[in-house]
Amino acid sequence: MPKVIFHHDNGETDVVESPDGTSVMKVALQNAVAGIVGECGGQAMCATCHVYVRDGYLDRLPEISEDEEEMLECTAASRDETHSRLGCQVVLGPDLEEVEVDVPGSQI
Amino acid sequence: MTVDTTHPRSIPSADWVTIPDLYADPYPIYRHLRAESPIHWVPAVDRYLVIGYEACHTIELDQERFTADETNSLMKRSMGHSMLRKDDPEHDVERKAYGGVLRPKAIKQQWTRVFEQSFSTYLGRLREAGPGADLVTEFAAPFAAENLRVIMGFENATQEDLQRWSQTLIDGTGNYADDPDVWAAAERSSHEVDVAIDEMLPILRDRPNGSLLSALGASGMPLEPLRANFKMTIGGGLNEPRDAIATTAWALLSHPTQLASVVADGRWSDAFEESIRWVAPISMYPREATRDTELCGLHIPQGARLGIAIGAANRDPDVFVDAESYDIDRPRKPHLAFGGGNHFCAGAWVARASVVNVALPGLFRELPGLRLDPDRSARCGGWVFRGVTSLPVLWD
Repeated sequence: MPKVIFHHDNGETDVVESPDGTSVMKVALQNAVAGIVGECGGQAMCATCHVYVRDGYLDRLPEISEDEEEMLECTAASRDETHSRLGCQVVLGPDLEEVEVDVPGSQI
Repeated sequence: MTVDTTHPRSIPSADWVTIPDLYADPYPIYRHLRAESPIHWVPAVDRYLVIGYEACHTIELDQERFTADETNSLMKRSMGHSMLRKDDPEHDVERKAYGGVLRPKAIKQQWTRVFEQSFSTYLGRLREAGPGADLVTEFAAPFAAENLRVIMGFENATQEDLQRWSQTLIDGTGNYADDPDVWAAAERSSHEVDVAIDEMLPILRDRPNGSLLSALGASGMPLEPLRANFKMTIGGGLNEPRDAIATTAWALLSHPTQLASVVADGRWSDAFEESIRWVAPISMYPREATRDTELCGLHIPQGARLGIAIGAANRDPDVFVDAESYDIDRPRKPHLAFGGGNHFCAGAWVARASVVNVALPGLFRELPGLRLDPDRSARCGGWVFRGVTSLPVLWD
C-alpha cells in the first residue's frame, strides 16, 4: 500500500500507509497525525494542511492549481517556493507510491 | 471510522434548559451540561445539543452518518434548499459554482477597495452620530451589509435592503414558534430577493463584473438553487462580519492590556480569531442522524435532530485552557467558528479581509480614545447566532 512519511519539528516521524486516491491531508486526519488541521475538508480553501514536500518527490506531484497557489500565499508558516504544497492536493496513487513531507510548526 | 460498540449509554435529558436562558447567556448552561455529558436531549429546542469539541468536529467531518439535509428544515422553508442543507456530491457542485469570487485573489484585486470605501462611508456616519453612538447600528451593520451588497452584485438594492432581507430570512430560519408574522416577513423578503435577482441576471450576463451573481448566472446553476444559495449567503454573509466586528471591539475595549498589544504590534488577526472562538457568531447549526449510531459512547437514534453547538465546543476545556476568557495569547488551537469539512465557511477570507485588514484597525486608528460608554453598557444576545447587539462607544 502507498505510504506517507511525516517528519515533525521535534524529530519524530509518522509512517502511515493508505490506499490509492487518499490525499496527504486525509491520511493525516484519518490517522491522527499531529500538525495537520485540514479545516475545509480538501477544497483548497483554508491553507491549514500545509506541508513541505522533500526533494526526490517533487517531480511526481501535479502542477499547482490557481486555487492552491493563492492558498499557499496564506499559510501560517512561511511558504517555501520549492517545497510548499497543500496536503489536500497531494494524492497517493500509481504515480506517487510514497511521499515524504515535513510538517510545519504552525497551521493557524 | 464508525465504532459500533454493543453498550452505548443513553443520552441524558436536560428538561431545565429554556430558550430565553440560552438566548441571554448560553455559556453557564453549557458549563453545567458539559460536566455530565458532551450530548444532551434538550426538549425546549427539540434537538440533541452536541456541546463537546470532539463530538462537534467528528460530526462535521462525517456526512454519511450526519446529514446536512435535514427533514422539516425551517431554513429550507425560509430560504429554499441551499447548499448549506445538502451533502456532497450535490453540495460540491453548487459550492464550486461560487468559484473564485470569495477567494483571496478576487478580494485583493476587486473587493479590498470596496471594503475601504465602505469603511470611509460608515466611519463618517459614526462620526456624524457622535460619541455615544451605537457601533453596531451606525457602523458594523451597514459596513457589513454594503460590502455584501457589492460582492453579491445587487446594484439594484441598498445596504438597508440587505439588512432587512438578512434579518427577516434568518428570523424565518429560527421560527420554532411558527409565528405567522415572522413567516410573512420572511416570505416578503424572499420575494423581493427573487425580483432583484431576476432584474440583475440579464444585466450581468451582458456586462459580467466578477460579482457572485455574475458568476452564478454564468455557471449554469438552475434558478431555484441559485435563489436559495443567494438567500443563504445574504443570511450568512451579513450578521457574521457585523457580529465579529462588534464582539472583537467590545472584547478589546474591555481588556486594555490586550488592546495595547494588538495596537502596538498590529495583532488584529489574533484579536479576531480569538473573538470568534470566544463568541462564535454562528453558534449552532443542525445535522440529522442518518442511522442508529454511536458518538462519544452515546447512542444516537436514526433521524435524531442534532444541534451542533460550536459556540460551546469553542469553550471546551479539554481543548482550550481557561476557555471562558478572551485571551489573544492563548496557545493556538483550531476553533470551529467557521465550521469544518465540506461546509467550511465560503466567506471566511472575505470576513478576515474586511474585518481584520480594514474595519478593526481603521476604527482604532481613526477614533482616538475609543472606549466603552460607562453609562450605557453593551448588550449581547443569542445562542444560534450570538453577538454584541448594541455597543455604545465614546471617543475623544
